[in-house]
Amino acid sequence: MIRLECSSFAYDGGPVVLSGVDLAVEPGTLVHVVGPSGSGKTTLARLLAGQTGAGNGAQFRGALTLGGDRLEFTGGPGDPRIDPAAWSSTVAYAAQRTEGQLSMMSATVAEEIAFGPANRGMPAGELRAAVQATAARLGLTDLLNRDPRRLSGGQLRRTIIAAAVVGNPRVLILDEPFQGLDADARAEVARTLEVLRAAGTALVICAPMLPGAAPGHSRVLALVSGRPVSDGTLGQARTAGLGRYAIGTEGSAPVVLPDPPQGWAAPAAAPGVSVKAGGPLAELAGVSFSYRGEGARGQAEVLRGVDLRVDPGDIVGLTGANGSGKSTLLQHLNGLLRASSGTVTVAGRPLGRRTATGRLAGAVGFLFQDTDQQLFERTVLREVAYGPAAAGAGREAAQERARTALAAVGLGHAAGEHPYELGFVERRLVAFASLIASGPAVWVLDEPTAGLDLRGRNRVGELLLGHAAAGGAVVLATHDEAFADALCTRVLELKDGRILSGGARRGAGGA
Amino acid sequence: MSSPLTLPATKAARPRTALVAVGAALIAATYLYLVLVQPAEIAEGIGGTSSLITLFGFLGGGALLVAGILPSLSTSSLVLMPLGIALNIAIGQTAGSLGLQIYLDAIGTVLVAVLAGPAAGAATGALSNAIWGLFNPLALPFAAGAALIGLLAGTAARYGMFRRVYLAPVAGLVVGAFGGLVAAPVAAFMFGAAGTVGTNALVAAFRAVGDSLLVAATKQGLTSDTIDKLVVFTLVALLAYALPRRSRAQFPFLRRYRVLAGRTGSAIGR
Amino acid sequence: MPRRRVFNPLTELLAAALLVVLVLVVNTWQFSLAVLVAAVVPGVLFSGKPRQIALAIAVTAGPLLVSSFLLHGLFFPEGTTVLAEWGPARVTAEGLQFAALTGLRLAVFTGVLLTAALTVSIPELVSTLTHRGWNRRLVFVVGSAVGLLPHVAERSRQITRAQQARGLVVGGSVPSRVRGLLMVSVPLVTGLLIDAAERTQLLEARGFSSPGPRTSYLPDTDTAGQRTARWLMAAGVLGFACAWYAVGAGR
Repeated sequence: MIRLECSSFAYDGGPVVLSGVDLAVEPGTLVHVVGPSGSGKTTLARLLAGQTGAGNGAQFRGALTLGGDRLEFTGGPGDPRIDPAAWSSTVAYAAQRTEGQLSMMSATVAEEIAFGPANRGMPAGELRAAVQATAARLGLTDLLNRDPRRLSGGQLRRTIIAAAVVGNPRVLILDEPFQGLDADARAEVARTLEVLRAAGTALVICAPMLPGAAPGHSRVLALVSGRPVSDGTLGQARTAGLGRYAIGTEGSAPVVLPDPPQGWAAPAAAPGVSVKAGGPLAELAGVSFSYRGEGARGQAEVLRGVDLRVDPGDIVGLTGANGSGKSTLLQHLNGLLRASSGTVTVAGRPLGRRTATGRLAGAVGFLFQDTDQQLFERTVLREVAYGPAAAGAGREAAQERARTALAAVGLGHAAGEHPYELGFVERRLVAFASLIASGPAVWVLDEPTAGLDLRGRNRVGELLLGHAAAGGAVVLATHDEAFADALCTRVLELKDGRILSGGARRGAGGA
Repeated sequence: MSSPLTLPATKAARPRTALVAVGAALIAATYLYLVLVQPAEIAEGIGGTSSLITLFGFLGGGALLVAGILPSLSTSSLVLMPLGIALNIAIGQTAGSLGLQIYLDAIGTVLVAVLAGPAAGAATGALSNAIWGLFNPLALPFAAGAALIGLLAGTAARYGMFRRVYLAPVAGLVVGAFGGLVAAPVAAFMFGAAGTVGTNALVAAFRAVGDSLLVAATKQGLTSDTIDKLVVFTLVALLAYALPRRSRAQFPFLRRYRVLAGRTGSAIGR
Repeated sequence: MPRRRVFNPLTELLAAALLVVLVLVVNTWQFSLAVLVAAVVPGVLFSGKPRQIALAIAVTAGPLLVSSFLLHGLFFPEGTTVLAEWGPARVTAEGLQFAALTGLRLAVFTGVLLTAALTVSIPELVSTLTHRGWNRRLVFVVGSAVGLLPHVAERSRQITRAQQARGLVVGGSVPSRVRGLLMVSVPLVTGLLIDAAERTQLLEARGFSSPGPRTSYLPDTDTAGQRTARWLMAAGVLGFACAWYAVGAGR
């Protein structure tokens, strides 16, 4: 069906990012391409999608065979130029970042799905029929009139998949289709993919970890540093010892060393923060919250009378479905949201209406779900040094703390890089290092393990334990139940703005 | 090689020179007409005729420019344009509501011009004001001036004015002066030179010493537009240098003319 | 209240534009006032969202009206009939008259165009342009720019919050404001450009460069009658303008 032979691929005369790959995808098969961040998965996915990077300064040496056509590439200007429209009618592609996958000119999901065929001039009647048939097949009929910019993560992924397959391609390439999704949304997307596979569409799924549940006969290609290290069935991959390459399995418990990792220095108690001996680091008492002026349903309470006390050494996990109020609760801890009623106390002081959020950064560190909303410096070191510098540390001192924090997350070597030129996992760890460098006593983390590879996930686990052991506290919202079970001293479940269960001490810290 | 999967050898789409030339000539003629012929009329109230000529000359000229340029742009330049327009409107709306002397409503246009070249910049400028006109009709008649800003910014980038961060404000100053000259008759003949509190104070000062409305508007334009574009060009230069290499790599214009100093330009000159 | 929708967006926008042209051609305060009272006010009242549109008109034209009166009322060197005088400022009858005329025209200009634009459904406009066979690149730029606006606003709000969480304090001295602006705009623009790179590939893969006309998923709300009406309106206004100027020149 389609075959990629890649002898080498490099961007702009830089290092080779993918080499020695020979991957053939037969009709109706399922191929998992797994590998840690920076292993060349995205490059491989793009090549299969016909994006050889010609014109953007990339050099691809190898060949692509689709159907009976074999195209050879030498990395020179005489290489064939793939017609993306013709290619995608057989091989569709859904990229990693969802926003870039919307045309932004569609007001409804239906128009977005219709975008491709409409560009090719499909008559109106056929167009409606095609969109409705695809929507029905993938269970999107209820969403057809929704605004694609206002969908949940899982709905958006499925819309993008529907828009990619409306022309009935024979192969679908997906780059991290599950990134940032909770268990329910994952299941939705997985069901959608299963429908396609059952109908004979070949699937290539790139992901950082081995799938937890997949047909045992599906094929797995494992990549490390741009080279294949294992190629076989899923069953073979599970026993191939991929753990040594930092490729884990979805849903498995993190492997956390009992001792703090090397180079890890416990953060000094946040400077300028005085904690009453024995008092909690942060406390929510009877906190209720509702968003103001959000249309007709504006008055719905997102939090209803939440009590939460965070003491030194605590690692509190918050679980619950999307919309249960987890993120809202987290944002009360650093003043991004202010309680409608009830009190929030941070570092022994109640938060007033006028306490600027920026002034709390030294006491409470916040890790957002979307890392790319904060990176703005030209080097990783300056990025991480921003927090301490803003808090008043001198330039030298700030950089010293930044270096320590980078070493702690395992990115000591990347201090001089541009943050956006790192892979997803590294960018996430840079954001984590920025938090650590400011030395807050309380870490508030929104989905800290989403999209991480095995090494990153384990590293984050170790950092949490180290911080708690040094007298700090962590509050994290997560869908990663295995992670929460292994690390948290308390796991609280939120539902409809209330804490359902909780208090049960379990996991490593409570043992 | 004639596989159905590949594209034929590149034949670069050329701009429709005739349309572009007619559009540019229309804008220039409108400007000259307004400046040379009309000032006498202003004492007894702004003639409807000069407003009409302003509107048709500048909007029509802008439309012809866009029609001439659009077919020649690559898809990557085309995708950049809505982004520039959205930035213009979002930032311009904010700055306008704060009553500043500067408008900052050209950041997106200048950004597109620097990344994708003068043609894309000019089209972005013109379309930006046309689309903004849907939310703020007062922006509509300034479309030709915005196109000129995009064109000049792209030209400045092409000849290396963004290779040094300190050169960008100088380029902004010069481009702003041209922009102010073109915008002045629009302000005077369409809106009686009324603007925000900041720009008004300037016009009032010039009027107080006896300048005619057009001269006062021109002087005000020369003052605030130069400052505005100086700030805008500096901001865009800082933004462009903060971009990661892979983002820059997608724009052949940056590569071909070595618009930004440093790693991108020098790599493999194919 | 349901949204008013009588005609196709193209017809409504053209009618508004032609009305503005008429006001400029006739150019008397009586006619401007008549249009304001007879067209703009009812248009706003029956728009289905009168408060929102009235507010938009007030916010757009209001400051301009005030500044127009201040500017021309106080500083109008061409004026001869002096009503009052304070230092360099002179209130003249001519200046006030000029301000009133300009102000009225401004109000009509803003009122007519905003009422039309704010009641128009942009998706319907984009779909009509597609059905009428307008250049697909132009239609994309217009549709995508309008579609990106709320996205850009939302993203900059989120980025501001993220930066506040790590120590950005909004406001303060000029250097700190500039730094704050960069802290928000660098991630914003970088993210948008990375998305744009992927959108470029997306457009190519979705056949955006295909030859021939594009089609639209949304039904065509335009009618042959409205198309004829548009041509007739345009021709009518053109004819009227020619006649008006011919008569004016003969006077």
